[in-house]
Amino acid sequence: MVEAFAVASGKGGTGKTTSTLALGMALAERYDVTVIDADTGMANLLFHAGLDDADVTLHDLLVSDRDVAVEDAVYDRFGMSVVPCGTSLTAFEAADPSRLRDVVAELAADTDVLLLDSPAALGSKSAVLPVVLADRVVVVLQPTVPSLSDGLKVQEYARSYGTETAGVLFNRVRPDEDVETIADQAARYFGGTALASVPESDAVRAARRAGEPLLAHAPSDPAADAFHEAAGNLDVRAGDAAGVADRFRSAVVPDRP
Amino acid sequence: MVADGHIPEGELCRSRTDADIGETLAGVLDRELTGYVVFEPQGSILFGNDERAVLTFEAGVPVLAYHSASDAGGHDALDALTGDLFHAEVYELAADALTAAHQVEELRVSPTAPADVLADDGALVDRTRDVAPEDRLADAAGTSAVEAFLADADRIDAIRDEARAEAQARAAEWGLADQLDDEEQSDTLG
Repeated sequence: MVEAFAVASGKGGTGKTTSTLALGMALAERYDVTVIDADTGMANLLFHAGLDDADVTLHDLLVSDRDVAVEDAVYDRFGMSVVPCGTSLTAFEAADPSRLRDVVAELAADTDVLLLDSPAALGSKSAVLPVVLADRVVVVLQPTVPSLSDGLKVQEYARSYGTETAGVLFNRVRPDEDVETIADQAARYFGGTALASVPESDAVRAARRAGEPLLAHAPSDPAADAFHEAAGNLDVRAGDAAGVADRFRSAVVPDRP
Repeated sequence: MVADGHIPEGELCRSRTDADIGETLAGVLDRELTGYVVFEPQGSILFGNDERAVLTFEAGVPVLAYHSASDAGGHDALDALTGDLFHAEVYELAADALTAAHQVEELRVSPTAPADVLADDGALVDRTRDVAPEDRLADAAGTSAVEAFLADADRIDAIRDEARAEAQARAAEWGLADQLDDEEQSDTLG
């Protein structure tokens, strides 16, 4: 039983990585959750999850001549399986994005919910691959025009590949922003459920500094409550793990000879 | 691409080598110019630097700002433009020639920002606000700018159509064309 979600935003600074880990931790109360840092160009998740000293990362799995088992890059943290991405530019350059599908396929076989923390960009194959591979996308937005505009673009890219929107999460919402009205309006254009509105919170920065996900660092913060609400509103669909794995394996034609 | 920020060449209707920005903006407002003004700091001409900034206008009201040397758009472009005296060239264009460029979010400025930031002229700010269209003023006012954006179904459709076309074009480039959903199914997801 597995469903893979790409957590995407199109624009940087929306708190996508924070959201991915927070949703992951909240979902981990009901499901077996694996979080993958699929933002291979700008590793981020490892800092949020206290994994900045991880020996083996996703990068190692994406380099063809490296003899590393997928499980070596999987770390049990905060009740989830976490696959961090490395920070080395050299490793990124050597990485073959097409291999992501194999990695995802293997991980999918053994989990209920896969969350792919996706790049905040659409300008390259590796940036788009997570929304191509995922079953559905969770769009993280801020209630601003540039963020909504970029969120619409991500959704459209995802739909082009048959990946529909599972839900929209408004994040980093300031007290003066009337997000209820905006969410109602946005629902005309975005698919899926309005998952939650997460208030801007100092606890998010503090958690990042502590190298912990928000839900571990400040479990009773209003932002943490909102992420719990979001996870509760996300309807995870049962899939056939073997079928999903096969689909990932055949999903992408390698672009290198 | 529909919205690539490209501005076609207009008809030059005024050129000054010692222009004051406030006076130029006031002149544009008075003549209800639709078109653009290229500002070049005088030092830039002297030293051969390309420090030009372009501001576009609809009926005299500023819409876009772009600063070439720093590749800055929107309010950043206004911040990037420095100097007291400018070579200013005023060009006129048909309104529809600017439609595509005016959809580029990153380049847009609030109607009163140039008068405020570049000219620091309160009276000009007020005059600009008086003639600016309602939806443009909402643009400048935080949350309601978002509401105005989401209320503009045509603009949203344009963003989606463009993203769809871009996704299809790039899929071919990246060898992902086989993964594309067929059109019929994508449409039903809307």
